[in-house]
Amino acid sequence: MKELTKIEEILLLTIWRLKDEAYGVGIRKYVSRIIEKEFTYGNLYSALSQLTKKKYVKKTLGDPTPDRRGRRKIYYSLSPAGLNALKDARKMNQKMWEGISEYAFD
Amino acid sequence: MPPRKSHPPRIAGWILKYTARYEENFALFGDFDEEFQEIARTKGTFFARLWYWRQCICSLPVFTRDFFYWRFIMLKNYLKIALRSLKKHKGYSFINISGLAIGMAVCMLIFLWVLNEVSYDRFHEKADRICRITMDFKIGSALHTPVCITAAGPALVDDFAEVVTAARMDRPRRVTVKYEDKTFQEENVGTAENTLFDIFSFPFVSGDPKTALEAPYTVVITESTARKYFGDENPLGKILRINDEKDFSVTGVIKDIPPNSHLQFSMLRSFQTLKAEKSVRDNQWFDLRFYTYLLLDEHNDPGLLEQKLPEFIDKHIGKALNAAGGSAQIFLQPLKRIHLYSDFERDISANSDITYVYLFAGIAIFILLIAGINFINLSTARSTKRAQEVGMRKTMGAVRSRLIGQFLGESMIHSILAMVLAVMLILLLLPLFNSIIGGQLSLNFIQIPWLFAAFLGMALIVGLLAGIYPAFILSSFLPGHVLKGSFKAGGSHSRLRKILVVFQFSISIALIAATIIVTSQILFMKNKELGFNKEHVVVIPQISESIRKSYRPIRSELLSLSGVIDVGASDIVPSRGQLIAPFLPEGFTDDQVMTMDYIDVDAHYIPTMGMKIIAGRNFSDDLATDPDESVLINETAAKKIGWENAVGKRFIFRPPPNSGGKTFYVSVIGVVKDFHMQSLREKIEPLIIFYDEDSLSTLSIRIAPDNIPHTMGLLKKKWKELDPNRPFQFLFLDDSFDSLYRSEESLKTITFCFSFLAVLIGCLGLFGMASFTAEQRTKEIGIRKVLGASIPGIVRLLAKEFMLLVVFANLIALPLAFFVMNRWLQSFAYRMSIHALVFVLPAALSLFIALITVSFQAFRAAFANPVDSLRYE
Repeated sequence: MKELTKIEEILLLTIWRLKDEAYGVGIRKYVSRIIEKEFTYGNLYSALSQLTKKKYVKKTLGDPTPDRRGRRKIYYSLSPAGLNALKDARKMNQKMWEGISEYAFD
Repeated sequence: MPPRKSHPPRIAGWILKYTARYEENFALFGDFDEEFQEIARTKGTFFARLWYWRQCICSLPVFTRDFFYWRFIMLKNYLKIALRSLKKHKGYSFINISGLAIGMAVCMLIFLWVLNEVSYDRFHEKADRICRITMDFKIGSALHTPVCITAAGPALVDDFAEVVTAARMDRPRRVTVKYEDKTFQEENVGTAENTLFDIFSFPFVSGDPKTALEAPYTVVITESTARKYFGDENPLGKILRINDEKDFSVTGVIKDIPPNSHLQFSMLRSFQTLKAEKSVRDNQWFDLRFYTYLLLDEHNDPGLLEQKLPEFIDKHIGKALNAAGGSAQIFLQPLKRIHLYSDFERDISANSDITYVYLFAGIAIFILLIAGINFINLSTARSTKRAQEVGMRKTMGAVRSRLIGQFLGESMIHSILAMVLAVMLILLLLPLFNSIIGGQLSLNFIQIPWLFAAFLGMALIVGLLAGIYPAFILSSFLPGHVLKGSFKAGGSHSRLRKILVVFQFSISIALIAATIIVTSQILFMKNKELGFNKEHVVVIPQISESIRKSYRPIRSELLSLSGVIDVGASDIVPSRGQLIAPFLPEGFTDDQVMTMDYIDVDAHYIPTMGMKIIAGRNFSDDLATDPDESVLINETAAKKIGWENAVGKRFIFRPPPNSGGKTFYVSVIGVVKDFHMQSLREKIEPLIIFYDEDSLSTLSIRIAPDNIPHTMGLLKKKWKELDPNRPFQFLFLDDSFDSLYRSEESLKTITFCFSFLAVLIGCLGLFGMASFTAEQRTKEIGIRKVLGASIPGIVRLLAKEFMLLVVFANLIALPLAFFVMNRWLQSFAYRMSIHALVFVLPAALSLFIALITVSFQAFRAAFANPVDSLRYE
């Protein structure tokens, strides 16, 4: 299996964390906070459509609200493949960072 | 009460809508709106709008990237399908592409030719400011000519400030040029003033353009002429002997003249030479010999200058003109119009005609149209084959515009392939084409880089125009209809296809008819009784002075050769034009002068040429009075003057006033049966024939029709003895007459090629259509055969449909051809009568060709075993 890219890793983690709140606006704001700069919708949906295609995430339609001028939300959740991918990523990260202290690069 | 809704910026929303292409678009827009409202509530609408715009613009790169990514994926699919269907239907693709390629090749060739035609004389830096003087001159006879009054050029420069300079030049002619031991007949040797180089851009390789032709007996030559005579030596200062009379020193070498110049010469002698020889003076106002070019100043307005010209003429020669009862008008012809807009007598060079440019461009476009129609017809006819695919694509969510795009793209692929093929065809055909039109065209993408873009553009436009109708038809299929399998396309659009086929064949048939008419007119002209016998006459033009002086003994020497029947002499070569002058028949008042052609001959010319004396007698060697007192006239002259019995009538010759000469008379001793001396475009004019051994310059030798090579060998050997200094130059009179019709001949070749191509492309299309119909009706034919239909019956059934179209096309094309070609024939004084055969032949030919094309497929379908076609029902 191919490794996740950083942005995919971040997105999958975000979706997993946000659980029921994992739709466009929520995901974008959360990711923006983590990477500490504006994460655009362009990047978000481009990546999300790739993740969907790779079957890492599932989509569920939500309800339209007045603020959205009648457009439904799409809620994202992890598929088993997505979960596995996250597990692998975690394992790899752990191996990669093993024995390196927080101050190693100071 | 809910808070008032703020609206997101419309334009940004619009951009978003057209750039973002995801399945999740609705959610994406929702997200945008939701966050926008949130910010609007907390920070205000302004910030919300700002955010929206920023978000939108920052997202754009990604959107567009993805947009093209998906497009690209689909494009690959379209391309794959296009190539697959190309491969799968090799026959149709071949017909489509090769037909289109031929059409394009013709179009491009003509385009190259037109480009060359309109480029004439544009290479001169001052082309916009150069004019040529043309005249309508009438003293007795009217002359519409670019030959100008000798004195006019310098006088115009003196009189008008806007005329910067003028240059006179004569018509380049053939002379003998000798350098050391090398002798050549040089075809294009002219005489010009040095100012010619101020006016035109003929760049000098060596020598000084300011002074090259200032002195008498100097000559400027072109680079290739220099190489011919001097090899690698420096040509400056070398001496060339011209016509074995005068020595000229080379004072300049210019670059070879581009082929797209109406002025063509290999050598230019200085005008000063003529002045030194006293054969020209600057104040000659009644002498028309030279072509005069003017350079106007930068603020020139030729129209304005032209208005002042009548006054100019009046000032200088008004009185003399009035006295002579003549008139003269001068006009300015811009340099750039010379090649395409000249219809003058005695022009400096043979020019083209803008009508031909339009004509050929029109035909080329028609041929491309025929090829395009093939494409449309075959594509719509074969739409059934693609219907399944269209249905499938639509079911999978393809929108109509995308499908139109796909099919348009496919037709463009076809047309680009056709263009590649066409370029190869052109490279192959250019030499042939050049030999037909006598040009030097080349397909040089490096020289003219935009040519490539032009061709590509043409391919794309053709692809678009030919593809747009089939694309709309194909994309209109309803998937439900198609996929159920009950669909039969092609039928509903057959009316348009029929119209298009009729159109195609009309063009082809009209072209065939035109070819036949041109061909038979040429045959008519070549075979028409000319009034003398042009066969087996050897003409030796431009005999030298020494030969002329001892003409009589030389004549008897030539007669002693075996195979020589008779020898005569004249001042001109028949077919090459003769001089005209005013003559006054006795009994007419002075203002009733007759304009007549005149030639000078010896006593043996009339019998040598086989001309017939219908009244009176020929000149006689033995009568000393004949040269001075006797003339012959032709029938037309007798008729025009109104002499019923012309023999014995007289012409009056009055000397110019104050010249001290005496009035004298010449009397008509005989009338010659009318004979043609020119192209049959021209009427036979009144002609007067003088007996003048001093102005003879051309020998005509009638030889026996058998063993011509032997006779020619003897003649050549004899001539070498008689005139050792000059090469033996001769021509056959019948060739010379045939060459009068060179432009008609090339018109014939071109209409023939065009009609051949039009028919070929049309038949390709017909073949495709016929095979398609046959294929579609396989089952019908199977059933018919089972029920007992005969093979001829089935062939008739299949062929009838198409043959009717061709018959219909004939009905349209033939009257059209008649109308157009009749107008063309009007330009000939002597023309064939259009007989029925001219129309029967194209009709029969087109029907025959169409029948063969169609019946090939029809027979194949008719012979097919019904078991094969019906097995699957």
